[in-house]
Amino acid sequence: MGTFIIRRIVWTIPVILLVIFMTFVLMRQIAGNPFRTSERNVPEEIQRNLERKFGLDKPWYIQYVTYVKNVATFDLGPSLVLRNRDVNDIVREHFPRSLELGGLAFLFAFVVGILVGALSGLRANSALDYGAMFLSNVGYALPSFLVATLFIYFFALEWDLGFPTSGWTTWQSKVLPVIALGLAPMAAFARLVRGTMLETLQQDYIRTAKAKGLRWRRVVGLHVLRNSLIPVITAAGPTLGFLITGSFVIEQIFAIPGIGRYYVTAVTARDYSVVMGLTVLLAIIVILANLFVDIMYGILDPRTRDARA
Amino acid sequence: MVVNPREAPTPAIAGDVALLPSGAAGAPLRQSNLWRDALRRYSRNRAAVLAGSVFVLLLLFVLIFPFVSPYDSDKIDFALKAQGPSLSHPFGTDNFGRDLMTRTAVGGRVSMGIGFGATLAILLIGVAYGSISGFVGGRLDNGMMRLLDTLYGLPYLPFAIIVTAIFGNVTFWTMVVALSIVSWFTTARIVRGQIITLKENDYVRAARAVGARWYRVLGRHLLPNTLGVLIIAIFLELPGVILGEAILSFIGLGISPPDASWGQMANDGRTAYRIAPHIIAVPSIAIATLILCANFVADGLRDALDPRTKET
Amino acid sequence: MRIRTLWLMLATLVASLALVATGCGGSDDGGDAAGTGSSSGSTEEQTGGEAADQTITINWGTEPPSLDPGLASDTTSANILLNIMDPLVKLDDDLKPVPSLAESWDISEDGKTVTFNLSTEGAWTNGDPVTAKDFEYSWKRTISPELAADYAYQFYGIAGAQDYNGCKANCAAMADKVGVKAVDDQTLEVTLTTPQPWFIQQVAHHSFLAVHEPTIKQFGAKWTEAANIVTNGPFKLETWQHNSKIDIVKSEEWRDAANVKLTRVNGRMISDGTTAVQAFEAGEVDVTGTLPPEEIPRLKETEDYQQYPGLGTYTYGFNVKSITDVNQRKAMSLAINRREIIDNIAQADQLPATGWTPEGMPGYDTINPASPWLPENGDLEQAKTLMEQVSSPKKDITLLLNDSPGHRDIAVAVQAAWKELGLNVTIKQQEWAQFLEFIGPPPDKSIDVYRYGWIGDYVDAINFLELWTCESGNNSTNYCDPEYDKLVEDARKTQDNDARYEIYAELEDKLLGEDGAVPMSPIYFYTYVQLERPSVQDTLNLNLLDQSDLTKVVVTEG
Repeated sequence: MGTFIIRRIVWTIPVILLVIFMTFVLMRQIAGNPFRTSERNVPEEIQRNLERKFGLDKPWYIQYVTYVKNVATFDLGPSLVLRNRDVNDIVREHFPRSLELGGLAFLFAFVVGILVGALSGLRANSALDYGAMFLSNVGYALPSFLVATLFIYFFALEWDLGFPTSGWTTWQSKVLPVIALGLAPMAAFARLVRGTMLETLQQDYIRTAKAKGLRWRRVVGLHVLRNSLIPVITAAGPTLGFLITGSFVIEQIFAIPGIGRYYVTAVTARDYSVVMGLTVLLAIIVILANLFVDIMYGILDPRTRDARA
Repeated sequence: MVVNPREAPTPAIAGDVALLPSGAAGAPLRQSNLWRDALRRYSRNRAAVLAGSVFVLLLLFVLIFPFVSPYDSDKIDFALKAQGPSLSHPFGTDNFGRDLMTRTAVGGRVSMGIGFGATLAILLIGVAYGSISGFVGGRLDNGMMRLLDTLYGLPYLPFAIIVTAIFGNVTFWTMVVALSIVSWFTTARIVRGQIITLKENDYVRAARAVGARWYRVLGRHLLPNTLGVLIIAIFLELPGVILGEAILSFIGLGISPPDASWGQMANDGRTAYRIAPHIIAVPSIAIATLILCANFVADGLRDALDPRTKET
Repeated sequence: MRIRTLWLMLATLVASLALVATGCGGSDDGGDAAGTGSSSGSTEEQTGGEAADQTITINWGTEPPSLDPGLASDTTSANILLNIMDPLVKLDDDLKPVPSLAESWDISEDGKTVTFNLSTEGAWTNGDPVTAKDFEYSWKRTISPELAADYAYQFYGIAGAQDYNGCKANCAAMADKVGVKAVDDQTLEVTLTTPQPWFIQQVAHHSFLAVHEPTIKQFGAKWTEAANIVTNGPFKLETWQHNSKIDIVKSEEWRDAANVKLTRVNGRMISDGTTAVQAFEAGEVDVTGTLPPEEIPRLKETEDYQQYPGLGTYTYGFNVKSITDVNQRKAMSLAINRREIIDNIAQADQLPATGWTPEGMPGYDTINPASPWLPENGDLEQAKTLMEQVSSPKKDITLLLNDSPGHRDIAVAVQAAWKELGLNVTIKQQEWAQFLEFIGPPPDKSIDVYRYGWIGDYVDAINFLELWTCESGNNSTNYCDPEYDKLVEDARKTQDNDARYEIYAELEDKLLGEDGAVPMSPIYFYTYVQLERPSVQDTLNLNLLDQSDLTKVVVTEG
């Protein structure tokens, strides 16, 4: 187990370098001037000044090497568009919020999803099963911007329940965005749990346990739920990564000052340093999340450790 | 924890697809029986049958209705702007006065086209990558998996944007490529996992011992046995692609007009949700229906292809 | 675990969430809770009187990219800066310059030297007095190549500025040659390259604001953070949580603080239009812009809707090297039904364009050509007739625009109109940065028509008309007429306003007159729409440049 972990951690370094390289190349591929923000063109002298200031007048390989060197010292550079801010500042101020949003949404999805899935699985093919699955799937199937807008309209505006329409300050302001973001993963987890539960319940050893007279509670708790958790945990890695990086829609609509908004805006504005910096950061997180999942998997199911290593 | 060694859960993300039983020889004769059995089991699942029928109906609607409809999906008439559902316009009109039912059908062609197109592309890439990696194994497998880790690390949305930006203009095919490029990783992993597990089976070993070439082994034995997993994977990837298209429309990278897709239509209707809720409701319900059907069909297929469940 | 237990868990979870949400609802928390009227001070009493609580909440919209006057280049930054800093000159309702920090100014005979006389009462928030030296330092800083300021070009009218900005070596010497000098603490002398009658108005622009040198030296790029910033205007920057809120409070030390009634402005940053409207209706903000066009017909019926004319023109530009026959351009221009577009798509009562220079510009009555090629309701008949006169028309048209929904909708309408002329229009929708690359100039060869908009930097028509000169960095039409350029030069030298307006009228004629070249087809003049609570409606206004002077705002009762 130990070597497995160490090997994986060592592998993350070339992976990160590759991520930086790919992002760097891709961003340079798309046409676009980071310094032109409106229809008003940038006069030549000013364009030259700007390029000189940000080192964009140097050949691309020098830019790449300089960037990698900076990243190694944790200096992600200044933003090209937000002239008074560094990427480090942006990360420090906004990333924790996205982390909070994604983390809470994940918690919501995990807890509620498993509950709903377990209930449905135990009462398979009943009205409850179909009903619960249908309702949770609806949350997954509707586009998130629609769900978010409806949430704000009904829960914050029309029904006067004490939720603000936007922002990320009081705990009330966090409820709606968290649920809106967590609905889809919740439905996915519920279906996974239900499916695996159905499978496991059919299996001989469960029937054997029941026949032997083991308490139903123990049976379900120990064996069934634990087995059902495996696919959920497998799905958890990418889900967590997605929640943190893909929260743009929710952040935009709920006016949450998270990293998702900055990311998409930066790509559109060709703010190279912000895009690069955030990509590196998020890549590290996703890779670590996957690593964590793999480790969990290894612990829970020793047979597959070799297959996955 | 005691886990029955016979029931090896697939080391993959979806996790809810059990192995197809591999007979001693893996000969085709047994397989066709399997499919017929599966069909029979599928038809006993009411929800799956319903979902399948709705799916087919939806497909027929988007293919046929534009030919039948009296309205042109592009004709602008501001006098009819944003009218609610009525006899002459069962779904109402949008904010250009165009008949929404016709628009939904036309938009459905684009959405479902992108959905299937991207899903197929995902499968092709995923199968190729996963089977090579799983089959060859060893160092190559390790390297390819690490590369996959890298690609997993690239955030979905910004990279979809970057890919779209590389193409310049957003057309049907641009969407297909952009969405499939950022979504094939999971499928590759599933296929790889499946191949690895299947590889150890006796009949495969036998085939290799006898000297069968790698493409025979892959094509004759391994891939057909992954077919079940793949079919289900289609219906599992479809929702992701459709929603991905909707999100790209939200950012503004939707299909160029006057073409439309359901995601684009839903976005357009979003700001008018107070005065004309039908403009956003109709395409959203269409999207939701498609996704729900895909999910239930996938569930039904999973149950049907796995001979152990549902023998109650 | 029994089923019942699982059920109980789920039920408890749901119930507790519901309880917590409803039971604790309504608690005030820094103005972010729901409930009406929680932030403004209006109560149900007699109308017209001043409210006790002079606080309002404004939705600024987007995060300002920078609050450094040298680096700020968008309207949000400009709006905030002009309220926390003290400009030399302000613009009144007729857009004429009125004294602000500069009590008076003198213009020399030849028009090339402008001298500003500063008030002695200007003061920075840390106590230092504001002197002419601050302005000299600030302007030279903005012109310097090291700062690489976007708006440095605004200063090119000053002697030596363009050279300094473009200098690559020996720049310190160049800095001394720039025509800005603090003769003494209260006198600022500016030397221009040519007489520019609009220069005084131009100085009202935010890039001409002064900055506090010691603060910049101490904090570097971080000097604009709320904890560090030193300002000299009627309001102070109290809080800046990036992408979340900007709060400003009244500065009691300001020279005219006695006349400022507003004590506090809380600022949110909600960029999504639908959410902004929802926030307003929930009572969380008192003023918001960014209204989605589709909501405007509904919002117009409410008492909160306010509309202001803007100094900007929305237009479609033609690539005259691709659509070579002027008759085809005239026909395409005639076919556009502006009224329909305004009423059904843009929906904010914009004014149909009748020329290039927008209404509200000083001298508009003289300048405006009442172009025959811009009929309000479109003239399909005449358009078709003209098309027939075109010997080899360009039938396949590529229309380029950026990916904003409003622009897309207008393009769809125009596409349908041009279809009537037998033209096959492909809409090429691009992402913003790519769109800007494509229009250049020079415009990409594949473009035949492109969408464009221009908002005035300062209030003189030259700002609009100089766009279409041959060398202009903003002319993506390939239109080049030496006579046009000559007229622009003449205008720059004409000091008398009326005479200059006549030249402007000639320029408009060259563009869109009866025999004009029609290198573009303006569609409408901008308006700015906002939702404002009745308690601030009378005193809170947007001028033509989308700025609000918060020193004039008074919160009334009811």
